[in-house]
Order: sequence, then structure tokens, then C-alpha cells
Amino acid sequence: MKALVVDDSAVMRKVIIGALNRADITDVDQAADGNESVTMCKDGDYDLVLMDWNMPNMLGIDAVRAIRELGKSMPIIMVTTEAEKGRIVEALKAGAQNYIIKPFEPATIIEKIQATIESANA
Amino acid sequence: MKAELVNPFIESVQEIFKTMLGSEAKRGKVEITDSHDSPGELVALIGISGRATGTCALSLPASTALKIIGQLMSTEYTEMNDDVTDGIAEVVNMVGGGAKAKMNVDGAKPMDLSLPTVVSGDNYNVKYPTKTIWLEVPFESSHGPFVIRITFEDEK
Repeated sequence: MKALVVDDSAVMRKVIIGALNRADITDVDQAADGNESVTMCKDGDYDLVLMDWNMPNMLGIDAVRAIRELGKSMPIIMVTTEAEKGRIVEALKAGAQNYIIKPFEPATIIEKIQATIESANA
Repeated sequence: MKAELVNPFIESVQEIFKTMLGSEAKRGKVEITDSHDSPGELVALIGISGRATGTCALSLPASTALKIIGQLMSTEYTEMNDDVTDGIAEVVNMVGGGAKAKMNVDGAKPMDLSLPTVVSGDNYNVKYPTKTIWLEVPFESSHGPFVIRITFEDEK
């Protein structure tokens, strides 16, 4: 399984990658903004994307829409401080499959990743 | 600016410490200040806009920042570096995000967060608009002390 972690914070990317590693996902690429993530999804073949919302160059929500417009159907999990119900609905409508609100306990992110993958494979 | 505005920020800080650091942040007394001096060697700023417009500032000594980010990264940091400033930016991002969600009114459009900014160094000054009044909350934690300040325009 190959994953892409998208967050403008290098520290948060490392925290998320650590969680992915604990879920036995070790083939992980990184992007620092939405624009970069769309380019990487266009050129690459990812099985899972973890996407922040507030980033320079392109918001994560816009990147989700752009990735779906490329015809890419891999599961996308938002990992963000945007916690309002309206934001969650907006993300699901844009094409995200799951939503993790920062701050999160490490166990929570692993559970959500596993649940999202299982759901995608069902 | 109502004093109760500070409560979502206090709760947000405490949630971050509980979930991501597995520790407690004990708050001190809320004070009002018009001081432009930053009470720490670093200050991380984030703006909130929309239904309410304001700024949250996280000020802390370098020693506290090193310990917080060190725990987050399971690494011991002995001096300031890009990881630490980046991590503190992310912490204030989470403070602002958590607070604005708590301030949200059902059915209202969510407020927006700016990208965070971190200023650090031995000798710096951050200039705010002259009449800025801050609500200031000191915290103590096992990682060290820090201060949250918020200022908001009165809702129109």
C-alpha cells in the first residue's frame, strides 16, 4: 500500500507518517500543499491520501476536488483543525471518505486509517 | 470584547495537551493587558475571521517549545530549529481551530483561520495596532510555562 501525506507542517507530516508506520504502511510520500498533492496524484499511484485543509497555494478541500476530477478514486482522509459540522459535510461532498480532527490521539488516527482502508476494500 | 471569548481557547489548549501530549495544562488567572511585549522567546500567531475577527498569540520560552515538540516528535531537541518552530506553528493552528469550532453557532458559516506565523529570537518586537487589548491566560505544564493571548473585534 502506498500513501500520500499532505500537510504544510513538516512536524505534522512526521506525526501522521509515524501513525501510518504503526499501521504497517511504510511506503509513504509527502506533499506540503494542495497543489503539490494534485500533481503527485496525477503522476503517481496512491492507495490512500491523508489531506490537511488549510495550506498555502491550494486548500486541501480544493485539492480533494481536483484529485477526484483527475478520476482518482483512492480513499482520502481529511486530517485537519476544521472541526465544524459544515466543514465535515463539505469534505465528504468533495470526495473525502473520512475525517480526523486535530488534535488527535495516536490510536484514533490508526483506527480511522484502518477503517477507511477496510471500507474501501469491501 | 467579552471575557468569555477566552474559554474556547483555554479548552482547546487543554485538549491538545490531553490528546497529543498525554499531559495537563493548568491555567492561571485571566488578565486583561494592553502590553505589546511578548512574554516569551517565541510567539506564534493565528488569525480568525468571519463572524468574529481576532488574533490568538501563543507565547512561550524556547525551553517549553523544545520540550513540547520534542515529545510530539519523540526526539530530544536541545536548540531551536525548523522542526520546533514548525511544530509550534502547528500547535497554535490547533489552538485556533479548536477554539473557532467551539465558538461556532449551529447553522452559521464556519469562521476562517489564517496560516500560522511564528516569530522567535533574542530581540524582537511584534507591533500590534495601538489600541489592542488582550485577554491573557498563563498556563503551567510539565513541559514548562506558556501564555495564550487573544484579542477580538467586537461583533458587528
